[in-house]
Amino acid sequence: MSSLTELQDLIQDKYGLDAAQLDPHASMREKGIDSLALAEFLFEIEDRFQISLPDPDPAMDTLAQLAELVDQVRAGAAAQPAT
Amino acid sequence: MSAAPVAITGLGVVGPHGDDAQAMFDALLRGESALRPVFPDLPRPAAAAMVDFDPARWFTKLQLVGVDRVSQLAVAAADLAVLDAGGLAGADRERVGVYVGCGMGGAGALDSAYRSGIANGSGRVPPLTIPAFMPNAPASHVAIRHGVLGPVLTYSVACASSAIALAEAAKAVRSGEVDLAIAGGSEALIVPGVVMAWQAMQTLAPFAEGQAATAVKPFAADRAGFALGEGAAFVVLESAQRAAARGARRYAGLSGWGVSSDATHLTKPDAAGQARALRHALRVAGLSPADVGYCNAHGTATRVGDPVERDALARVWGEEGIERLRVSSTKALHGHLLGAAGALEAVVTVLALHHRQVPPNAHVAQADPACALNLVRPGDTQAPDLRAAVSNSFAFGGTNAALVFERAE
Repeated sequence: MSSLTELQDLIQDKYGLDAAQLDPHASMREKGIDSLALAEFLFEIEDRFQISLPDPDPAMDTLAQLAELVDQVRAGAAAQPAT
Repeated sequence: MSAAPVAITGLGVVGPHGDDAQAMFDALLRGESALRPVFPDLPRPAAAAMVDFDPARWFTKLQLVGVDRVSQLAVAAADLAVLDAGGLAGADRERVGVYVGCGMGGAGALDSAYRSGIANGSGRVPPLTIPAFMPNAPASHVAIRHGVLGPVLTYSVACASSAIALAEAAKAVRSGEVDLAIAGGSEALIVPGVVMAWQAMQTLAPFAEGQAATAVKPFAADRAGFALGEGAAFVVLESAQRAAARGARRYAGLSGWGVSSDATHLTKPDAAGQARALRHALRVAGLSPADVGYCNAHGTATRVGDPVERDALARVWGEEGIERLRVSSTKALHGHLLGAAGALEAVVTVLALHHRQVPPNAHVAQADPACALNLVRPGDTQAPDLRAAVSNSFAFGGTNAALVFERAE
């Protein structure tokens, strides 16, 4: 499962950047998603997917890396027994 | 009368009467009120003057991240002022300053944080709440938008905030510290919690159903308080010499400013303190009271405030002179913009000089004898001899500001 498409949809919805404008392997900062925007985007992702993300690695700068992180967290959440 | 050394060459307003300063002035001349009922679910009826604002004209969705409405309005109004002044081309950005008055900062961001963090029990607050609500965010956003590299300052002095911002900007221009200043104010606090807080202060005018538009009655016998307004207003200030050299249109000169403190009480106004600010402003301008033909009053229409302002004006103009001073409080029509009030009313006063027309003091069926003033009557707005005008802004906290403007001749 990859969250990439869902993240692209969320970016389109929230920030008006469509998938064609943001190569998953390009720098998000260079597209205007700076550290502040990224902080808000992570908050939106947590809200949308009902997950809790770890503090992001400062080196993380592409949508593909972010999708991978979200995938890992969602897989981990799915593996947890329901309480 | 000396030529004012500081020229106003650009005006920008995003307020309850729209985003065209001239159209706003025309609406005020016609006595059109922008006050409407708001938040019907509140325990007590409330009226306010809101801005019909489309941020998409100034921001992409991505640029709006973490930008509260108060900063959005500031960026828009400052942009209009700069555009009106012919842009900043040719200005050394290190010698440009931004001077902004703001009372509360991003009230909407705080309100939303409380709601999401506490009221709905999530325990989560949007991560950009701090940069969104911090009161100097509007000034910073204006600076970023225009690449301003000189002083970028915020004045939070309640209702006098942006009058003081204009005064500080004018001082910086006159002293040569900056070549050009973008000065104004922004306020956007029409959210339920803030409206209720002002209601609890017993300062807002009550109104019968269908009467919201005429609820605010400055200097009237039956006045009962003000209504909140939101918006932003900016001016571009530069030396008269610089304006002349580049052939800029000069709306008026900002020639005098006076700031004083009551040092008596946090919220109770003081005529002596207000009179000190007025006298100082006239002295800086090199004018006598008789030179001034119009006063845009602070005029919040509270029971306590209006007679004190009348007393202050009478102390400076004298009981005879005050009969010749035409007075109006335009808060009856655009509401009280608090931190942005001084800047908005400065724009109104500048346009009054520019057009030699003065806006009416609306909604007065019977004036209060305790506020005996030469109020501008609706329809009687021509002022063919107007050469100088004053705008008053008196703040909670006891700080008083008066600005004197002169016609650009």
